[in-house]
Amino acid sequence: MRPHRRSARIQALVAEQAARRGTQVGVVDVCTAAVAALPVGGAGLSAMSRTTPSHQLCSTDAISEQLEELQLTLGEGPCVDAFLHGSAILAPDLLTGGLQDRWTVFADAALEAGARAVFAFPLQIGAISPGVLDLYADVPTVLDAEELADALAFADLATLLLLDTRIDETGAATGGPLPDRCFEDLGGYRPEIDQATGILTVQLGVGIDEAFVRLRAYAYTQGRRLAEVAADVVAHRLRFSPDTEPRRTDEET
Amino acid sequence: MNQQLLAKTFVELADNLVADFDLIDFLRLLTDRCVGMLGASAAGVLLADRDGELRVMAASDEQVRLLELFQLQNDEGPCLECFRTGTQVIVPDLTREVDRWPRFVTVAHHSGFGAVQALPMRLRDETVGALNLFRAAPGPFDPAATLIAQALADVATISLLQQRTTHRSTVLNEQLQTALNSRVLIEQAKGKLAERQGIDMEQAFTALRGYARAHNRRLADVARAFIDDSERFPGLCT
Repeated sequence: MRPHRRSARIQALVAEQAARRGTQVGVVDVCTAAVAALPVGGAGLSAMSRTTPSHQLCSTDAISEQLEELQLTLGEGPCVDAFLHGSAILAPDLLTGGLQDRWTVFADAALEAGARAVFAFPLQIGAISPGVLDLYADVPTVLDAEELADALAFADLATLLLLDTRIDETGAATGGPLPDRCFEDLGGYRPEIDQATGILTVQLGVGIDEAFVRLRAYAYTQGRRLAEVAADVVAHRLRFSPDTEPRRTDEET
Repeated sequence: MNQQLLAKTFVELADNLVADFDLIDFLRLLTDRCVGMLGASAAGVLLADRDGELRVMAASDEQVRLLELFQLQNDEGPCLECFRTGTQVIVPDLTREVDRWPRFVTVAHHSGFGAVQALPMRLRDETVGALNLFRAAPGPFDPAATLIAQALADVATISLLQQRTTHRSTVLNEQLQTALNSRVLIEQAKGKLAERQGIDMEQAFTALRGYARAHNRRLADVARAFIDDSERFPGLCT
């Protein structure tokens, strides 16, 4: 499958949920769309950080909400592990002995709450890791390769949506709903985007999350592709500075 | 081919393939040996992500231009063909393949390459990626060298399995995704170090790797700590 196809399909599913709510696409739509598309009973999303307390962002039902709260309170569970290890944590059956040993308190509490299988997907782009997407099912469940790939694509979209909410905070908002094309770069990997993000942490003196947000905000406002803007940054044709608008330079190296 | 060098290389690779190894550092070592031992001008290990998009995991040179040449093959080129068919694609003279891969041949030529081969990385029935070797001069590839290159591609595949065992994951798809994310992490760290020190991407990679080795740490861990500014890195930055 060409990369943009799955991304496009997942984006359409999420947009459909937002349309149903009659509003702009948000992370809650990722949760509801994931529940509709995958063999799970509910989904929840928490914002997580190494430096500030984590908090719940949304959940699709009472059980999901409870699972999120349990993990954040106990400091253990698949979502905590997913965040710390930077990899998806798949627990097809919480009654499995090993899982009970791994999450001594959470496993029983989650079963009590009505969950039997739990899956946690880190929202991440390299060192950028703003949260975790959690899914649960009330029966033992194994996600097949396609379902897993879809779940990872939902997590990717949630990552961008979550970071986009910060575009407003940086004052670089576009003033309306972001255009559809803003997620085009989900498909088709370009290393320059990551290199440019690293470069911007230095040019702007900000953390990696904000560097990425600023790079994307600039691409939107200029109506240019993220990959193009990133290539300019890497080739020193475009320089960002904390106080002024990014400026193009003629310097070629 | 130098037998002694060959033996030394496999011993070195095996030595590196221990429990706490760093996947990307290991794959870079492997591409370096393709250049040093097999006479390739450049080499790269490409891994397919969950949608079958080939992504560079390691390259014998971290310059953007070379990475682009690998990456370009998601549209056309020997790597894509090798990945799709699961078989070796060997091209002794790129100039003869202009019609087959017009864009790839042009860019490869521009980068100074005349011959290329792509060898599949197979795990059981599944092709998970490819080892891509470029040579400056056109001409036939030595069959003995190709055998060894394929063995190196197999070692690269095993290293993915190794990483998988370490993380106790049972799902290949997810494990590859985690590996790809460490590559993203390293690109971000390269960008930050290159900008801070006024050096290029290859120098930035070499410095990060050198620091990780000197301090006996995994490259991905050093990259993350460097991005997060969670510690000081004496000797890495002035």
